[in-house]
Amino acid sequence: MGYKTGVCNFCGTGCGNLLRVEGDRILGVFSAPGHPVSRGRLCVRGWHIHELLNTEDRLAYPLARLAGGGFVRVDYRSALDQVVDGLSRYAGEEIAFLASPRSSNEDNYLLAKLSRAALGCNNIGLASDSGHRHCVDVFMQGGCWPAMTGSLADVETAALILVVGSDITRQNPIVGSRIHLAARGGSHLVTISSRSTQIARLSHRHHLVRPGTQGLLLYAMARILVEENLQDRDFIGRYTDGYEVFVRSLEALDMGAVQQATGIGLDDVRETARRIARAPSAMAFFPSGISGLDRETIARLYNLFLAAGKIGREGCGVNPVTGISNLVGSYDVGAAPDLLPGHFRADDPEAARRLSKTWGAEISAAPGRHPAEMLSARPCGLKALVIVDHDEEIVRFTQALRRLDLVVYLGAYANPITEFAHLIVPTTTFAEADGTYTSTERRIQLMGKKLEPSLEVLPLWRICASLAERLGRRWSYGSAAEVMDEIASVVPSYSAVSHAALEHRFGLQWPCDAQHPEGTPRFAPESPRDRLRFVPQAAPSAAPVSTDGYPFLLIPGRANYYWHQNNVMKKTHIPRREYNALLLLYPNGLVEICAEDAARIGVRDKWPVNIVSADGSMRVAARISADVPPGTAYVPYFVQEMIPGFLRAHGAPDFPGEDSVIPVRIEKV
Amino acid sequence: MYVITREGLRDLLESLQDEHALFGPVHHEVSGEVLFDRVDDPARIDIDAPIPFNPPKFAFFPQFGRILRYTYDRRTKDLRMEKEPLGEAKALVGIRSCDLAGLLCLDRFYLGQEFVDEFYLEHRKRTFIVSASCVRPFAQCFCVCTDSGPCPREGYDLNLTLLDDSYLVEPGSQKGAEVAARLNMPEADPGLVSERDRRIDRSISLFDELARENKAWISRVVNRITTGFVSEDVWEYIGSQCFECGACAFVCPTCSCFNIEDANTLAGSTDRVRTWDSCSFEGYTRMAGDHNPRKPVEDRRNKRFFCKLSFSQSKKYLRPGCVGCGRCARICPGDIGLPNVVACIRREITGRE
Repeated sequence: MGYKTGVCNFCGTGCGNLLRVEGDRILGVFSAPGHPVSRGRLCVRGWHIHELLNTEDRLAYPLARLAGGGFVRVDYRSALDQVVDGLSRYAGEEIAFLASPRSSNEDNYLLAKLSRAALGCNNIGLASDSGHRHCVDVFMQGGCWPAMTGSLADVETAALILVVGSDITRQNPIVGSRIHLAARGGSHLVTISSRSTQIARLSHRHHLVRPGTQGLLLYAMARILVEENLQDRDFIGRYTDGYEVFVRSLEALDMGAVQQATGIGLDDVRETARRIARAPSAMAFFPSGISGLDRETIARLYNLFLAAGKIGREGCGVNPVTGISNLVGSYDVGAAPDLLPGHFRADDPEAARRLSKTWGAEISAAPGRHPAEMLSARPCGLKALVIVDHDEEIVRFTQALRRLDLVVYLGAYANPITEFAHLIVPTTTFAEADGTYTSTERRIQLMGKKLEPSLEVLPLWRICASLAERLGRRWSYGSAAEVMDEIASVVPSYSAVSHAALEHRFGLQWPCDAQHPEGTPRFAPESPRDRLRFVPQAAPSAAPVSTDGYPFLLIPGRANYYWHQNNVMKKTHIPRREYNALLLLYPNGLVEICAEDAARIGVRDKWPVNIVSADGSMRVAARISADVPPGTAYVPYFVQEMIPGFLRAHGAPDFPGEDSVIPVRIEKV
Repeated sequence: MYVITREGLRDLLESLQDEHALFGPVHHEVSGEVLFDRVDDPARIDIDAPIPFNPPKFAFFPQFGRILRYTYDRRTKDLRMEKEPLGEAKALVGIRSCDLAGLLCLDRFYLGQEFVDEFYLEHRKRTFIVSASCVRPFAQCFCVCTDSGPCPREGYDLNLTLLDDSYLVEPGSQKGAEVAARLNMPEADPGLVSERDRRIDRSISLFDELARENKAWISRVVNRITTGFVSEDVWEYIGSQCFECGACAFVCPTCSCFNIEDANTLAGSTDRVRTWDSCSFEGYTRMAGDHNPRKPVEDRRNKRFFCKLSFSQSKKYLRPGCVGCGRCARICPGDIGLPNVVACIRREITGRE
């Protein structure tokens, strides 16, 4: 009875909450006062997490598909037997595991171990990870931690805050709140995006760049820094490598073309560049999820901040903000085809040997592939897929999924994906099992079990252990805490983490090891031996341009309306009311254009229009918005038909970020 | 009037617990911050703790409360409705004066108008309230500006005022007097009563320091909002900082708005639930066909402050809709809690930063 301390499970901010436990249900939530990140605040989603926990859309019992179609209820034990029987029929390379960034560290660690050690399958990857994967790659290449280098507690100490490309007050409202409050308290706030957002309106300076040119603007700023001799020479000399190559790479830039391409005057670019260089401290924030920045833009941002010496001190850092609760932790524990737990490369024989020894099983050094990559390949070579707790991302692969011999679904909630499954095994919710979740600022937090599951279900880590036992392994984990003990022995940055250490505190920020038992708030080079590296950056490619035939630049996005866990939000009441309104008003999708453009085309709000590109067309409703400038069209692609019908025809990346731009024309119907 | 020691307070709590579920201020196990929560162990209650982070309204107006359960059989068309069982009797201990004023506002909304809400009544009627005078204000407080403290005037069964190591006990109802008599509380001598008055006066004088900035402007702002003199620019400036999270309504002791949903359960029955709702949500005022009288966020924001500060609204509550607890200022992600809104309007009035 009463309020129990927990962690919000929606986005990656990692806010503290208090779940109101009454009997065998959770009937309310309140924000946790004193939490170092959320400081007693929650967003609209966090304030309604109990509604999700009370949904009727739970998976209540295991189901097996009948040969003639339809499902039959089976008991839990026999469902697990059937999973093992099914998977044992295939070779490791014919199997793939699609892990969920909402699963706990313990869950994903054992899922990866099951895959690699018990089934010889290296094809394990996360859903919705492309944006964050770019950060991991760029930051590791840059010699830094593969996650936020600063700390959210520092935001108020930053003299300058740069937000690139994110509708952060919608996507991660509590991070947005800290940035807003810092700006109110005197930090200078600069935003860069192709669309007006709340944080843009609250900023001191908003650079409304033409679609697809955020990276170009950052590139130009770095060039100005060097030209005007504003770089932090002391920092560069003491802690970094690769500066000369970086400087040479900037020479390719034609500054005259920057204004033309981005739509931002050079004086404005110079002003921001100078501010970043001269500010005593500066932090950059950008979204790192499926609508995150591309690799090149992240590299340019990282290099810019390195040149300005704005990494490694209080109030500094380049900070990806994750959209899902445990995206960071899922990488930490090895839910990636080419990364072992601890971010060791899977093709590093020494790392593989060490892990084989700990796990008592030989790990195959053959490179794994991401399940999404396998599903889109022809021929795909995949026979069996295990999907954990997945949302609607997978709709893009419906055809490929139908061709698989075996689809196993493990999750707590009913989901459109379950109709493709051959076996469905329900799991506990995040409130029904112990587990740790690592937030965007590397904060590992324990979400202790709040109530006994009302159904006969097991947590994912226990399911993995049971499956491994059926495969002849002896995994004798008695609790999630014991799984964490093993994680701590394998992942160096978690080496001082245990459930006991996490109890009665609001988490620990990794690296949390013998030298830093209380965690580490921000990256700081401790000696000149800690070398950071400028990341190689490509010469700027031509910015997308509109033409007479295709006068609009279309940006596909989603966070602004639907937030990518719409599938989760549909199971609530109040957030569903708020989010679903658009789906009701624009049932076949929408394109945002400004009033001027609408008048020119001759359409009003909700009128149908055809969007035509060189490769395809689709019909949606027009939505008049003051947030897009003339010549820009914004399509939130939450409507299923739009993906196979239009975006995929463009060979666009599976889920393009907001830097993917398609020139189109818009016609009145 | 009676006087009890800390031991006497413990006896009071234990005796209340015999017949009531006990609610009171407790310290959060990690942060040490104060929460108002249900407790099993009366020793956890710290009646002298600062104002709790959350208001006590959840005890009467649950965030997600069932008001009806029904089962409909699609095959037989059989419909069975179940009466919601009576809730437990509740004792709320250590309620601050602002929160008690808030509770009285909820009473007027749910009980004092044309319709009496029987679910609220059910929660409310078997309640025992032990309030606590604030012998010192807390940093967020401005109850003296909203006529709701620091010492409650009505609505309690017993009110306690801390006097060094003892508490002065004032019964405010027949029920309260009976409990005091049953526990044989010693009578207080008149010197203690005037000592209580001195301490409350001192507490009021301490507000000067806290309320200097904005809070003293509340009555001016009531006037301004009631007469519609706040310009649209000011509302837009306030609205631009709204994150539309709904928290201001959830932490407000007087916010009574709710939504009704029929939620199917895994067991096959359907719960009709009453949930907290907030005027900051666009869907709150949206009607069929996308008609929304309060579509822009600034229109929704000024609605809130009309509700809290305008005279027309105060007539319904018989007091201002704001009780001066300061919680919305602590919880707002956009920094537009009521005191800051007062500051914005003050700046408009004075033309000064």
